Amino acid sequence: MTRPSPFAVRGRRALMIMKDEREIAIVRRQLDRLGMSVVETDPSQLLLPRDDVDVIVLDADLIPIKSDCALSRKINVPIIALIGTETPSRLKWLLDLHPASFLVKPLRSAGLYTALVVAFDCAQRRIDEAAHVEKLEDRIRARRIVVAAVLQLIRAHALSEEDAFTLIRQTAMRYRTTIEQLSAEIIAVGGMPNRTSRTA
Amino acid sequence: MKKPCIPLGLVFSRSGPYAMMAGEMEKSALMAVDEVNRDGDFDFAFVPHLRDPRGVVAAYHSACDDLIREERVEHIVGCYTSASRKQVIPIVERTERLLWHPARYEGFESSDNVIYVGAAPNHTVVPLVRHMLDNIASDVFCVGSNYVWTWETNRVLREIVSSAGGRILAERLLELGETAVDHIVKEIIDRKPAAVFNTLVGESSYAFMRALHAASLRAELSIPMLSCSLCEPELKMIGSAASVGCITSSAYFESIDGAENRAFVARWKARHGTDNIPCVDGQSTYVCVMLLARAIRRAGTTDVAAVRRAAANHRYDSPQGPVWVDPANNHCFLTPRLARSVPGGQFKIFWEADAPERPDPYLSSLDLASFAKPDLNADTAAKRANHLRVVK
Repeated sequence: MTRPSPFAVRGRRALMIMKDEREIAIVRRQLDRLGMSVVETDPSQLLLPRDDVDVIVLDADLIPIKSDCALSRKINVPIIALIGTETPSRLKWLLDLHPASFLVKPLRSAGLYTALVVAFDCAQRRIDEAAHVEKLEDRIRARRIVVAAVLQLIRAHALSEEDAFTLIRQTAMRYRTTIEQLSAEIIAVGGMPNRTSRTA
Repeated sequence: MKKPCIPLGLVFSRSGPYAMMAGEMEKSALMAVDEVNRDGDFDFAFVPHLRDPRGVVAAYHSACDDLIREERVEHIVGCYTSASRKQVIPIVERTERLLWHPARYEGFESSDNVIYVGAAPNHTVVPLVRHMLDNIASDVFCVGSNYVWTWETNRVLREIVSSAGGRILAERLLELGETAVDHIVKEIIDRKPAAVFNTLVGESSYAFMRALHAASLRAELSIPMLSCSLCEPELKMIGSAASVGCITSSAYFESIDGAENRAFVARWKARHGTDNIPCVDGQSTYVCVMLLARAIRRAGTTDVAAVRRAAANHRYDSPQGPVWVDPANNHCFLTPRLARSVPGGQFKIFWEADAPERPDPYLSSLDLASFAKPDLNADTAAKRANHLRVVK
């Protein structure tokens, strides 16, 4: 699947959680120009997380938002924060929401596109990083299986630990499978499996 | 000979939730305007144009827009809350006007088009917390109104207190205007904290101080209270008994013993009545107009850039003592003071800084390490031990 470019904003959906009418008008007009669709929500009746939007434009002066179910930390939608007050006490609440980018009030037409691009790029990086972390965690979990397979080969073929691991690594490369997958098969059959076809 | 006229915008909410304070500020501004206009040392006269945004945040923008377009003002004195100031800043920045802001605020702002005449956080909360740590307690119970002033004051308090090895025992917040305080008072009486830090504002604060006073009497407790916003007119509203004993931080108290202040208070009473007392925000508004008048005189023009340059580092001996604008951040050098509220709606000053202190709106010079007290626990333990005696 090709990734959406962060520069391609047309057709994406923005949720505005804002109060000030003048600022709402500025953001709406600019999003219209960019070809994005806009959903507005009353900050006091907010029910999130919601998956039907691609970005949230949030007035940071509204936080802490009373309904604390709102904007849970698990939300995957990138948040663009609109900053009014720069006091650390308020910025701390903002950090809890993990904003992807921000704009400083008063708003102008310039700046929103950059904030969107940075937010979309940041969201994509977060997805990539989460996938990478998951892969690494899988490998850590599979360590036990690899160790068990190495021990199996040491016992069955009287190999040194280094040679047993090298054998697993080279075999996995030949069959175009992962060390972890091959290790699981070694444990299942009680020795190096006789493969005739490539798994991948 | 009639002096040439300079239009001056005055934006104060004489109605709405903080009408009392804004009314005091407007009175002070008009008093300063009259003094400048009568004073032969100024070769111009201010023509005040009054606007009342009624405490509605959005109305501040239109009030200033109107003053700039219709009345052609270049200088505006006004705003009390940070929310209102944030409404005005875009328009004064866009049109290159100057807002003279009298009220103390929580800091973390520095616009080229605002002269911040009220105290910065290093003038108010920092000396108050230092006094608390040195003389009262390192563990404190916080109660405040749920808005930016309390959030930020409590954050600074928490940072300093934890650097000194103390604890924030609780942080209880009430919505603005809320007067149901009994649950907090009960908790304080039950827990008997060594100190209460009060950042409540308006009616919430008055109700809380009355209720805590009554409950403390019943429980035969005396818990020190600290505030960085209490002022003389409020003491009167709280009532004589409940308002006494609050340790308060401010750049101005009516009881400052200096020639300028004595003369200012006398003029104030002559104008507003003998039982009327000027307060910090009122006095600061007076200082705003006087700083502006002096800067215009020095610059020889009302042009904003020239006035800003003329105001920079130019000392004015005000009722609160020497005041001048720091061009580095457009805030003012002020003298921090600590006082205890006493019967008669007054404050007795027990500490003041040796000299006006440089404004530090971002608290970037705050040295938390200077609050660390390695021997504090030993001292406290020794003090406690003195109260112990062997009982057989």
